[in-house]
Amino acid sequence: MTQGYQPQGYQPQRSTDAENPYWASYEEMYGVPDQQVDEALIPKEPAPEEKQAEAKQPEAESDAPPKKPGRDRYLDLLRSIALVRVVAYHLFGWAWLTILFPSMGVMFALAGSLMARSLNRPAWGVIRGRVRRLLPPLWAFSAVALALLFAGGWDPGKSSDGSGWGWAEVVNYVIPVGAPPYPEGAGSGPGLLEDTWADQAVGVLWYLRAYLWFVLASPLLLWAFRRVPWATLLAPLALTAVVGTGLVTIPGETGNAVTDFAVYGSCWVLGIAHHEGFLAKVPRYMAVSCSVLVMAFALWWASGHPGPEGWDLNDIPLAQATWSFGFVVILLQYSPSWQELPGRLARWDKLVTLANNRAVTIYLWHNLVIMAAFPLLDLFYELPFMQGESAIAALDMTYQFWIFVLVWPLIGLVIVALGWIEDVAARRSPRLWPNGTKRGGSRRRD
Amino acid sequence: MARTNRHGSAPRARRRLPLRYLLPVLVLTALMAMLMLRGYVHSEILADHRVRPPVSSDKVPEKIIEGGPVIDTRSGRTQSLKVDDSRLVLTFDDGPDPTWTPKVLDVLKKHQAHAVFFVTGTMASRYPDLVQRMVDEGHEVGLHTFNHPDLSYQSKKRIDWELSQNQLALAGAAGIRTSLFRPPYSSFADAMDNKSWPITQYIGSRGYITIVNNTDSQDYQRPGVDEIIRRSMPKDDKGAIVLMHDSGGNRAQTVAALDKFIPMLKERGYELNNLSEALDVPSAHTPVDGLDALKGEAWIVLVQASEHITDGLVVGLAVIGVLVFTRFGLMLLLSGVHARRVRRKNFRWGPAAPVTEPVSVLVPAYNEAKCIENTVNSLMASEHPIEVIVIDDGSSDGTARIVEDMRLPGVRVVRQLNAGKPAALNRGMRNARHDLIVMMDGDTVFEPSTVRELVQPFADPRVGAVAGNAKVGNKDSLIGAWQHIEYVMGFNLDRRMYDILRCMPTIPGAVGAFRRSALERVGGMSEDTLAEDTDITMAMHRDGWRVVYAENARAWTEAPETVQQLWSQRYRWSYGTMQAIWKHRRSIIDKGASGRFGRVGLPLVSLFMVVAPLLAPLIDVFLLYGLVFGPTGKTIGAWLGVLAIQAVCAAYAFRLDRERMTHLVSLPLQQILYRQLMYVVLLQSWITALTGGRLRWQKLRRTGVVGAPPEGMPAQRVPSGSERRPVG
Repeated sequence: MTQGYQPQGYQPQRSTDAENPYWASYEEMYGVPDQQVDEALIPKEPAPEEKQAEAKQPEAESDAPPKKPGRDRYLDLLRSIALVRVVAYHLFGWAWLTILFPSMGVMFALAGSLMARSLNRPAWGVIRGRVRRLLPPLWAFSAVALALLFAGGWDPGKSSDGSGWGWAEVVNYVIPVGAPPYPEGAGSGPGLLEDTWADQAVGVLWYLRAYLWFVLASPLLLWAFRRVPWATLLAPLALTAVVGTGLVTIPGETGNAVTDFAVYGSCWVLGIAHHEGFLAKVPRYMAVSCSVLVMAFALWWASGHPGPEGWDLNDIPLAQATWSFGFVVILLQYSPSWQELPGRLARWDKLVTLANNRAVTIYLWHNLVIMAAFPLLDLFYELPFMQGESAIAALDMTYQFWIFVLVWPLIGLVIVALGWIEDVAARRSPRLWPNGTKRGGSRRRD
Repeated sequence: MARTNRHGSAPRARRRLPLRYLLPVLVLTALMAMLMLRGYVHSEILADHRVRPPVSSDKVPEKIIEGGPVIDTRSGRTQSLKVDDSRLVLTFDDGPDPTWTPKVLDVLKKHQAHAVFFVTGTMASRYPDLVQRMVDEGHEVGLHTFNHPDLSYQSKKRIDWELSQNQLALAGAAGIRTSLFRPPYSSFADAMDNKSWPITQYIGSRGYITIVNNTDSQDYQRPGVDEIIRRSMPKDDKGAIVLMHDSGGNRAQTVAALDKFIPMLKERGYELNNLSEALDVPSAHTPVDGLDALKGEAWIVLVQASEHITDGLVVGLAVIGVLVFTRFGLMLLLSGVHARRVRRKNFRWGPAAPVTEPVSVLVPAYNEAKCIENTVNSLMASEHPIEVIVIDDGSSDGTARIVEDMRLPGVRVVRQLNAGKPAALNRGMRNARHDLIVMMDGDTVFEPSTVRELVQPFADPRVGAVAGNAKVGNKDSLIGAWQHIEYVMGFNLDRRMYDILRCMPTIPGAVGAFRRSALERVGGMSEDTLAEDTDITMAMHRDGWRVVYAENARAWTEAPETVQQLWSQRYRWSYGTMQAIWKHRRSIIDKGASGRFGRVGLPLVSLFMVVAPLLAPLIDVFLLYGLVFGPTGKTIGAWLGVLAIQAVCAAYAFRLDRERMTHLVSLPLQQILYRQLMYVVLLQSWITALTGGRLRWQKLRRTGVVGAPPEGMPAQRVPSGSERRPVG
């Protein structure tokens, strides 16, 4: 079973990379990639290859030179959907959203695919580039979060979970090797936010920790995948079955980290498999049918092991791992490699481009933004025409919906205010609103 | 999937929803609505079985706890009434029940006793006649909510709804309203607690008197007749309200106990009255008329209809179940018999074996430029002496020219103005030199041995036509894998079965052979139907010829790759089959071979191909219903059971055809995506047939993947055609 994938299959695959028109055009433009360029190109997971996005813009304006195909807009679209789904889920908390679209699995799979592509080049440089692109946006966020926390009187030395690491764990705000600590019922910030704001705002940092782990492990995963593809692909699922079901419990933050690594590991490796052309070799009927069986297992498992929120897969590691795995296989199996968004999707083009260019910013800040939206919306109750009982009732009824509406302009503000850090981290000239409509002036800069 | 319109201009005219989509959707919606209604009155939907444990009672007024069982909280009152000594009110909860309520009523009638029945809305809706009988026989009826939830868990809205819905059922059943109410899970006045008291007050504010009880028979525990009487009997000849049940299980003990209890009470001087009589107040019933009465009646009619329709559906499900299982059983049995017969070591088709005489191969082609070269080349490799006649049916893409340019010996091209496939085949037949004629599609690829295997059955002079084994080449896609399963099952189970039963309904257009004399006797191909292959096969049967299946005559075809193509292909097949059955309907009253086919073959084919698929949606309707409302586990279990049986059949078919089993992994998904498509197509054919619509001929879009005749196994992708049929 593990030998279903013959090593020689890789040869053409690797050469596809060279043939990859995107890559070719890139080399043509920049010469043989050196370290620096490499990093600019290297898609930091959620915000990959801005250059190409821009490079593709002139083509939108005129049908001038036959353009090198840009980024795979299908993957871009998936990432955008995943982001919107994450924001909606963190606002509404609807468990079924985790089943409708397993965002995290999709994001890790896309990141894994891009990582595999970058690993054509020396691993150390790739990892360094990735980390450098990840950290500055995190630092900006950490600075604000820590300032708020300390203003609220938080003392990490008196950590509630008593792990004793106290201040040492605060390092995770700078380099997320673990998820950073925060006070459970946190001293409220300026009194405007809910007292669980720290949990909600900082809680999302687990993703960066998991991402960092995956990036560090990628050279090894890729090496293993090329030798024993099936075993590498399925090992994280097996690990989830051990550490995610209570069979073996690893305590504390290490346990969380290992569990997350296991739950999404298969998705990450799927991304690698997609890039290596491994998935395309599995007959489609086989891939889809088996995925459906795996997903059926996920539902069955979830039905027997409901979490505190019932069917919320985020609380059921094995169900999350298997459901995401099956879902991602199907998404990648049908991957149409769009050069541009087709048909009706085309109208979303700019937003998709923006979301992909600012994915880290959006992800880091969205929960804080959601919480900031509440006091803002509450101002509406003060408006003169909102004083009637029916008006208040109507606003009460549709409260969350309005929050959801309000969140997006606020996220837009954050993008304008802080998004440029992503550019700086990537050693590009900072841009205000990179939705791809400008001339690609900044792109040749580094 | 969505195709992009390069010019981007949206069509201006808005398309109306065609009848053929509207009708099935309406029928399914109505079915689903009826099922929901049924689930609703059977307490499968919205049922709430929680019961609140007792809480403290410090907020309940003392006089209520110490007071009698009739609690009046109307218009701000807080008072309770007792039944006078030597008066006793029998009360029955949870009915009416179709079995036990009539028996209870009979006993009461026998002893001339009146009682109070607290009916639930669900049961009253289902058995309105019993409610009417209660009223007619002088009993009182009270509300017991619509579907028996513990009201302390419910909102005021829900409580209002429970009451009004219950009244609606009463109005429809007996034309009355009532002011009596008994809360579910209630017992004595002193059991009133802080949770139930506010509910009682609220219900009083809606104009109801709440009735609890003095003695509880606890007959639902079935403690024995004497024990029921002992528990029910009030002490010291006091007045009492007695709680019994006429529903919710076996109530034989209750009925028997009543028959003893009432005479005992009468002996002690008790009067057995309904509540108003016992309290000497006007009746709790008020007649309903006008709109409310109409609404009630409409409700009852709807519920009754849903009950009957659902019963009908269950019968339909049983029918389809029997049909499906019979078919599976027959297929397994008969295909086993067939395989064993033709695979015997010294098996010979007939006295003339082996057949070595030359064969004419007819290749009708219409715009097959992409595929025709492969087709003809595959024939050139034939191990059997053949002549090839390509009939170009007015192609506009130079199909004929391509073949001519190949300059192959023994290949002739005949051109005609576009006249359709039957005409092309007839023309080819007239040009054919030999007496055995093989017909194939312009996009099918034969193996070298296909023609030889296909004509061997003609060693038997009674055989008039032979069906080959069409196989799907492009089976790696999902839709291809599904069709692959379908083809393998269709050819290895269905066709073998039909062979044994001598009623094979179709020679596939992709690979079939005919005896010229037989073709001439039935007048060649006809244009009467959209499925000329089915038409001609039925005609053969009626003329007394045997039609058999040659398992080793394999032809490779490319199955439709998109849902749209598949749809139009299947639509044509199923509509054509219906046309053919209709065309040959008179064979039922014929004599001889024709009559035999008419009375055995035709009904069988109609049953399996036209009627059974029509009932198949019921499986999905019940699956959906069971998943959402029913016992989910059992529903899934049953579905998996049927799936397992199908998997066994499919695995057997794959084994017979020596196919790799891997494709069976897509069987579960086929059952929830593909099968539905097939019956929607059939439903559409029915609607077309009934509304007399005409069907346009749609040609498949070819992908034209180049293919050579596969060496044994099917790594090849071969061009696609439209005229092969997996299922006879």
